Amino acid sequence: MIDFEYVSKFYEGDREALFEVNFRLAPGEMAFLTGHSGAGKSTLLRLLLGLETASSGAVRVAGTNLADLSGEKLARYRRRVGVVFQDPNLEEDLTVFDNVALPLRISGFSESDIPRRVMAALSRVDLSEQALVSPKLLSGGQQQRVGIARAIVHRPALLIADEPTGNLDPELSARVMRMFTQFQQLGVTILVATHERAVVESLPFRRLVIERGRLISDGLGSKR
Amino acid sequence: MNRWLSDHRWAIADALKRVRERPIQFLVLIGLLSILLAIPGWLAQIWLGMSSLVPEEAVHSEAIVFLSNEIEFEERIELERMLGESPIVEHVIFIPKSKALADLSSSDGLAPLTQLADDNPLPDALQLRFVFSPDSGVSEPSLVERIEFDPRVLSLRYYPSTRIQYGSMLEVLAFLGAGFSMLTILGVLMTVFLVSAADVVDDSKRIKLYTLLGASSRYIQRPYLYRATFLGIFAGFQACLAVIGLNALLSEVIINNLEELDSRLGSIPLDTRILLGIVMVSVASSWIGAERAMNQRLKGLH
Repeated sequence: MIDFEYVSKFYEGDREALFEVNFRLAPGEMAFLTGHSGAGKSTLLRLLLGLETASSGAVRVAGTNLADLSGEKLARYRRRVGVVFQDPNLEEDLTVFDNVALPLRISGFSESDIPRRVMAALSRVDLSEQALVSPKLLSGGQQQRVGIARAIVHRPALLIADEPTGNLDPELSARVMRMFTQFQQLGVTILVATHERAVVESLPFRRLVIERGRLISDGLGSKR
Repeated sequence: MNRWLSDHRWAIADALKRVRERPIQFLVLIGLLSILLAIPGWLAQIWLGMSSLVPEEAVHSEAIVFLSNEIEFEERIELERMLGESPIVEHVIFIPKSKALADLSSSDGLAPLTQLADDNPLPDALQLRFVFSPDSGVSEPSLVERIEFDPRVLSLRYYPSTRIQYGSMLEVLAFLGAGFSMLTILGVLMTVFLVSAADVVDDSKRIKLYTLLGASSRYIQRPYLYRATFLGIFAGFQACLAVIGLNALLSEVIINNLEELDSRLGSIPLDTRILLGIVMVSVASSWIGAERAMNQRLKGLH
């Protein structure tokens, strides 16, 4: 599904953000991307979302080199990807329902199809009852779950999460990770960037450890 | 088609939401743009309105050419012929000084003046009546200037028609109108550009989110472009109202001159092309200003 082929990324002044990162994620696989702040996790995710292009090497998703995409094609690619952020980034002047419906509207789903899909996504994160309230009235954990519902509402083949538990307490973090596990069991490929060791060590998934722009470890973790 | 409709419906709703969020900004912008648009619009309106009156007016210019006392008969005949052949002169009437003296004494009741007949101080004169001939390539002022410098002529008194008086005003108006129109288009473009650019900065978080959710640039731009279009429409209509009001005001001031041009006229005729032009220029420049700003700023954000 995801194929990083010796990907390097340099910024202005030859500042090295990634250097020859090479890994592959199979369809339906879940992996953690770990490393300290500034190690290169965000750059890797930006490359994966097509927000930047690699200085050398190739980033392929489902066989497509992202460097070949631009404009409408790149937008279409992003519509097949779900993204969860550390800050759920919800629009406060929209209801929970409309926030979750955003990817569907952007992707051009018919209005008659939207309520069914949104309610299904909200029920997966146990927030069906909050559909018509403003996100302002929800707790941090609930807002994060709305963000997750928004990421999965269009049933993406690939889910990318950037520090999804960064603002949550351990109990809520565990709950969010359980959700990801359920999505993975449904066949979604998931890459979770996090620097929280407890989260990573609690689940038996593959770990990609990145340090100073280099992939220094790639292996399976074990559940404690 | 459904997708297209749904995207545009969503964009319009989003644009209206933005208007509701910042109503004061929207109203101030409408006011500012309408003032910018009303100035050249009004000048153009007067220009076109008056131009439409000019060819139909019935009042002709006239001139009295006083001839030099030393002029020979043949020279006078030659001057009369030369003037009579001009395409803009309808007729030339010779007024001998004796007739002028008689007319003067009878109209002013100065009977003793006739006693001066043997030593008449008045010069002979030619009365010219001009005719409107725009295709002739000769203008009244240029012919008048040529006559004034003719050695056979002592002096000249020119009575320009209302048409000629307005003609010079129209030239100024056309010049001013063209200049102001360019400035206006630039002003509207720049204003909408700056406001839209500021909106992109304000909404950068939201725009980034939409980009990550797979929204195309067109999808992201659409609400801003619709808002700019609404702005253009409202500013255009307000400018039209201002032009109509100013036209009525000016007509009131020059009502006597208007009646001289055409007794049926109560105001300067309103040219609907100008009103349509104002709305179109307003919408087009608002749209282009917003589109340029969005393109530039979105590239910066991405």
